[in-house]
Amino acid sequence: MGMGGFGDPRPKRSHNADKHGLFSNASGWKSLITFTVLALAWISGFASRLFAVIRFESIIHEFDPWFNYRSTAYMVQHGFYNFLNWFDERAWYPLGRIVGGTVYPGLMITSGSIHYILHSLNIPVNIRDICVFLAPIFSGLTAISTYLLTKEIWSSGAGLFAACFIAIVPGYISRSVAGSYDNEGIAIFALQITYFLWVRSVKTGSIFWACLTALSYFYMVSAWGGYVFIINLIPLHVFVLLLMGRYSSRLFTSYTTFYIMGLIMSMQIPFVGFQPIRTSEHMAASGVFALMMAVSFLKYVQTILTKAEMRYFYMVAVVGAGSVVFFTVVLLTYAGVIAPWSGRFYSLWDTGYAKIHIPIIASVSEHQPTTWFSFFFDLHILVTTFPVGLWYCIKSINDERVFIVLYAVSAVYFAGVMVRLMLTLTPVVCVLSGIAFSHLLGLYLKEEESPSSQDSDSEDDGSSDKSSRNLYDKAGKLRRMRHEQMKESDGLGSNVRGIVVMAMLMMLMMFAVHCTWVTGNAYSSPSIVLASYGQDGSRQILDDFREAYYWLSQNTHSDARVMSWWDYGYQIAGMANRTTLVDNNTWNNSHIALVGKAMSSNESEAYKIMTSLDVDYVLVIFGGVIGYSGDDINKFLWMVRIAEGEHPKDIRESDYFTERGEFRVDSEGTPTLLNCLMYKLSYYRFGEFRMDYRSTPGFDRTRNVVIGNKNFDLTYLEEAYTTEHWLVRIYRVKKPDEFNRPRIPLSERKIKRSKIFITKKTNKRRKGTIKNKPTVVKGRKPTKTA
Amino acid sequence: MKLIWLIVVIVYGILLIQHTDGQRNRKESGQSSSLNERVQQLIEMSNKRSLMRFNGNKFRDFVKATPRNYSVVVMFTALAPQRQCSICRHAHDEFHILANSFRYAHMTSSRLFFAMVDFDEGSDIFQMMRLNTAPVFIHFPPKGKPKAADTLDIQRVGFSADAIGKWISERTDVAIRIFRPPNYSGTMACILLIVLVATFFYVRRNNLDFMYNKTGWGLMALLFCFTMVSGQMWNHIRGPPFVHKTASGGVAYIHGSSQGQFVLETYIVFFLNAAVTLGMILITEGAANRGDVKKRRILVILGLGLFVVFFSLILSIFRGKAHGYPYSFLFK
Repeated sequence: MGMGGFGDPRPKRSHNADKHGLFSNASGWKSLITFTVLALAWISGFASRLFAVIRFESIIHEFDPWFNYRSTAYMVQHGFYNFLNWFDERAWYPLGRIVGGTVYPGLMITSGSIHYILHSLNIPVNIRDICVFLAPIFSGLTAISTYLLTKEIWSSGAGLFAACFIAIVPGYISRSVAGSYDNEGIAIFALQITYFLWVRSVKTGSIFWACLTALSYFYMVSAWGGYVFIINLIPLHVFVLLLMGRYSSRLFTSYTTFYIMGLIMSMQIPFVGFQPIRTSEHMAASGVFALMMAVSFLKYVQTILTKAEMRYFYMVAVVGAGSVVFFTVVLLTYAGVIAPWSGRFYSLWDTGYAKIHIPIIASVSEHQPTTWFSFFFDLHILVTTFPVGLWYCIKSINDERVFIVLYAVSAVYFAGVMVRLMLTLTPVVCVLSGIAFSHLLGLYLKEEESPSSQDSDSEDDGSSDKSSRNLYDKAGKLRRMRHEQMKESDGLGSNVRGIVVMAMLMMLMMFAVHCTWVTGNAYSSPSIVLASYGQDGSRQILDDFREAYYWLSQNTHSDARVMSWWDYGYQIAGMANRTTLVDNNTWNNSHIALVGKAMSSNESEAYKIMTSLDVDYVLVIFGGVIGYSGDDINKFLWMVRIAEGEHPKDIRESDYFTERGEFRVDSEGTPTLLNCLMYKLSYYRFGEFRMDYRSTPGFDRTRNVVIGNKNFDLTYLEEAYTTEHWLVRIYRVKKPDEFNRPRIPLSERKIKRSKIFITKKTNKRRKGTIKNKPTVVKGRKPTKTA
Repeated sequence: MKLIWLIVVIVYGILLIQHTDGQRNRKESGQSSSLNERVQQLIEMSNKRSLMRFNGNKFRDFVKATPRNYSVVVMFTALAPQRQCSICRHAHDEFHILANSFRYAHMTSSRLFFAMVDFDEGSDIFQMMRLNTAPVFIHFPPKGKPKAADTLDIQRVGFSADAIGKWISERTDVAIRIFRPPNYSGTMACILLIVLVATFFYVRRNNLDFMYNKTGWGLMALLFCFTMVSGQMWNHIRGPPFVHKTASGGVAYIHGSSQGQFVLETYIVFFLNAAVTLGMILITEGAANRGDVKKRRILVILGLGLFVVFFSLILSIFRGKAHGYPYSFLFK
């Protein structure tokens, strides 16, 4: 455990398990152990998500969380109904955005109600702290719901394993560190609890559990767009159960109750609205609902008709019902009642689709396919052990294991197509790995209770999961008898057992260490505050973003409009509280393209666009001084591409590449690039800048070149503020009467000068010739010319 | 008599003048009217074949001849099998689709023509244009010589019909909507498969026990998982090379960075993952089975070996790709 205390839960747990080994067969102990393990999983999950808070401070991360935080704060301040009706005129200037109708409000309501409850108890907690710590707290709830789900599917021992896995697995931590206040943080909890309730309701067939399933589905719909995964997976489960001939009245009750209640409730979310009955993504659920009705009808008819009649009737009914449903859907789609698949979902099936048709989806790195490296990085040993759990689930299949198998197979496909959907794969991987480890260790530790007492000490050192063993054999005495019977034939030998158990423990320890390392190194950067490490290991905090946003909030007019690339829209709105043109909710591509066009045109063209959009300030991110690679020049080609998509006449991507097809900012770069607004704003006065006296002036550390266009002045803008490390540069757009206006050619002048300037030079003093001057010949009449 | 001579001379003179006139006329028409003629010929030719094949003479007549009011996009290629240019064939197909789409939309347009020159039919043109690679796409504008931007940058944009179309619309302001001939082979294969499966079920309709074979289903699910987890979908979308030949002449099987992977690398990972999983199943089976103790013990040891060794291998490959990753097991 080189990485401190975060990997501790498992050893502690084994310690608890040891106690249980002494007091066998007491159900009180069993629940105590379960409780302890879950509590420890919660605590360790919470603790390992705090790297960012400890290293930096309690701060909201990245981009989208800033919007969520801002709208949560708005809701807390103005109340829920005002939030639903909120028209945000500070975003997408001059269009504005209807926030209440375009968000999933579950996240805001969750933290808002926590805030409300705490304040009614006179515990004054700032809403920001609730937002920062919401995801780590919910990770504990996710662990508990994973435990419940796994318990339904296999055993509570496996459940404890799964809970511990999901508490620390990087695939889930990546979306739920403290400060990453995003929908996914609570959605995975909602996902797992919905699946648990669904499996429970299929098992029991009670309306009560089905209603609870629908309720938690409602919560999921309010929280995350990924609810579509549930509303397709549950019908798939039902459909496969029907195909396998596992129809039962329990299934009928639970599915119909869930479907109807879930449908009605999901339509209560304003952002979802009528989508559940109008879009193709939801059609599978209604199709299965119709099928369910047809099957139950057939089952009923079966009780009346004779076998021969039934066979004939069955064929006709199945073919008829199937084709009726199919053609209805096709017809409705054709008539435009049902919307076809949205592009983002379509790209999951046709993997080449997004690349060609939707560049703005393809440009987001989350939507890239997944390498084996990322699978291993996020799941470590679980990636090789979850197939074992899958294997045993298939080997001893029943209704609920069909569900987990389908879940695994579909989630692994989606995770392969899109990195982002690794998040939906992670819970099922934890469940199945929990089953695999629990099954294996259960077998190996069970027989170690052999009467020979001299082994017991060494066993106890190594036994990691006796809790699971005890759940397999509740009747201890009986088993011992059976064991003694088989003592002769059985017995791998305590050495083999010991080695196997030790190896498993070793692997689990490596998993815990890996998780801690990955969490600490890869997933705990707030990306608002940057840290750089000196050669002696000293740490320097670069707080330029907040510096710039604070400057904006203090030194500009409250209605000032700030133009920047869309990545920074939410942050400007959240931290500086200023109006932005575009932000991370990329709903209006042409507006983004307009900003991209302004950034990639030259100064005077850009000025036209900026005045038409009433821009007061322009904000660019420039990493050339400190070597920050995520700056605007590196993103610049996407701006050009998106602008070219809407304005192909004015912006051409090829103008920004050299003849050899390279994107260069040094002296070999194309003149279009060296004179565009983004270049000028990034490198204004950078030509005079040198890091130290040895380096050449104007050396860009991100791209490792000396810039190509060093000495230029800005005509239409002036530098307003540049942060300490030049990371953020803010420019003020001049008003038309401020800049020295360029000379307008005579022909285009609206107001012509009345007096004509007459030169005093006479013909004699100045000699000049006029081409084709008509010559006057005196004393003769000019001849008529045709 | 004098009069007769005069008349004869005049007539002769007239004839002479007429003769020379005629010669001059014919010369003039050979130059000026040939612009119209050429356009007419080009339209006829391209209506017969949207992608015209030019040899040396035709190339000089239609592309190099100076008064022009049309653009020509020429693909210089080498399609003969002995040239072994596999890219040329793909490029030809794409270019053909583009030419057809243009002809289909603008039947009588005389602004833009598509042509190709094969190396084996017009090697002199290759020499004249100083080309030593194929395929090359050059746009010949109506006025002046092709500039640098009139050669398609295949390295950067590729030669898909869309890319060429976009380039042409940049150069000539003619936007081409690409009609790809619908590809029925996928649909046909799908239908064939369904029919095969249906017949299979029909033939075996009295004995569907194999449907209840859990091992089969389990194997299928596991294979699918391994396929996805080893990044085959990434390969499918990104199309990486099979292996990479390094500058020193060696062959790299493993991509050095965490952002990429090679096809062979994913096969290796597929195998390693499967081996670890198999190891763990063997360990479990060894304890779960009832039977010969020796056999089971061997099973367990074998499984443990597979599990530990192959997992360490994955870990060391992972470590090689993640720079600065501190942990390893058995192998560095």
